[in-house]
Amino acid sequence: MTSATTILVLLVVVALAFDFTNGFHDTANAMATSIATGALRPKTAVLLSGVLNLVGAFLSVEVALTVTNAVVEIQNSDGSPVAGLSRDGGTALLVIVLAGLAGAIVWNLSTWLLSLPSSSTHALFGGLLGATVAGLGWGGVNWAGNGQEIDGLLPKVVVPALASPVIAILVAGLATWLVYRITSGVAARSTEDGFRWGQIGSASLVSLAHGTNDAQKTMGVITLGLIATGHWTDTETIPFWVKAACALAIALGTYLGGWRIIRTLGKGLVEIAPPQGLAAESSSAAVILVSSHLGLPLSTTHVTTGSVLGTGLGRPGATVRWRVAGRMVVAWVITIPAAALVGAALWWLAHALGGGLVGAVVVVAVLAAAAAAMYRRSRTAPVHADNVNDDWRDGPPADAPSRTTVPA
Amino acid sequence: MSHVWELEAAALGQIALAAVVLGAGLPALFALGIRASAWGRGGGAEVAADGGEHPPHPLGRALGTAVFAVVVLVALLGVGFVVASGYGKALSFEHVYPTVVDR
Repeated sequence: MTSATTILVLLVVVALAFDFTNGFHDTANAMATSIATGALRPKTAVLLSGVLNLVGAFLSVEVALTVTNAVVEIQNSDGSPVAGLSRDGGTALLVIVLAGLAGAIVWNLSTWLLSLPSSSTHALFGGLLGATVAGLGWGGVNWAGNGQEIDGLLPKVVVPALASPVIAILVAGLATWLVYRITSGVAARSTEDGFRWGQIGSASLVSLAHGTNDAQKTMGVITLGLIATGHWTDTETIPFWVKAACALAIALGTYLGGWRIIRTLGKGLVEIAPPQGLAAESSSAAVILVSSHLGLPLSTTHVTTGSVLGTGLGRPGATVRWRVAGRMVVAWVITIPAAALVGAALWWLAHALGGGLVGAVVVVAVLAAAAAAMYRRSRTAPVHADNVNDDWRDGPPADAPSRTTVPA
Repeated sequence: MSHVWELEAAALGQIALAAVVLGAGLPALFALGIRASAWGRGGGAEVAADGGEHPPHPLGRALGTAVFAVVVLVALLGVGFVVASGYGKALSFEHVYPTVVDR
């Protein structure tokens, strides 16, 4: 095995690990509300979401080969690596992608440890951005495409990220208000079943859409590595094993369930009642599907978090914890730069060690050590299926709770 | 450069509009279905205007079923859309009823 092939194997493993974190980070997006309202038992919810993600990932045959092109210029428009990165059997490109993925995983695990939802797509783009800037300089960044279509970091990633929560808050707020208006005066026992099935249906739609959107990105990254090392030449399709491995990784991650994040989104941000769960997930499904249909797919995380916030605002008298919302917004804003810093630091580390096999191995070792440390840290206050719905307490007593009640 | 932002504003505007119609319209419709079937069930399912209980009403039942059917149909269209886009196709409403077309 040449050293480039060995780095490729490391890249595949790290990419699948990223896909796995992508899965458990985003279980909350689809299932937090249904778990919080009791529409589904926690274990049932993550199983349903995992299966739908698996199905969704297999359903997406659209080639996501050019996924990195949205933010950096390490690929040509047909998916092949740019000239200059293919020397040493593609090692230069592999090390950039490897460092970028590792940066994305570190950020995903940090936000998970802090119980904060954050966009895995942003983490991936951030990591790649940092590693590319470190490796190729600022010229390697695709800031705004060619000016003729929506492409590049600002139009395709940053501006939609700012707009999507606003749209989601608006839609979910309106939906919540309407649902409460229409069903006011109807006895609770007559609405229970309806809202339960409404929540399950809308949450399932979000899970399915997530599988088709997110697993594709890792598939594209792995295939890029295969092309760079000459193991794959077809720029129209991806190998079946790549698709199957990514589908399994994201589904397993989803099934594991990011309970910390589920708890924040289902219990922490807003105290959710069944009608709000229905309104939030319907709004999320609508925004996600409509935006990918119109060619500007919005981040599932930003949309669902916005929807949950909107559903708190749309119901008179609902509790919205602005302190939690504030922490989330901070996490969103710093996701790309933070993942970029880690990605860049890891690229420099690999570069200092010769930029080849030794560097790649050390990057993976550092990643594994960081992951193990964060996992151990999480065990000091574990969140799992049995305590995910416990009453929310705002930090230690000194940490004054900032609850706001929306005036009726 | 400015051309991109025009495209962007147009896309985001379209998304917002369509999302409001679907994302708020469907749950509202669903709530109507719940209201109608509660009316159809009668008894204490819905608080009557005079505060008393009202009798079951067959029209409410029919209305509730019809509304739920529409909601399920639209949700299935959503699934159809996910599947179609996965295969590089799109749903077209050119003929009013949806058809799968190449993108």
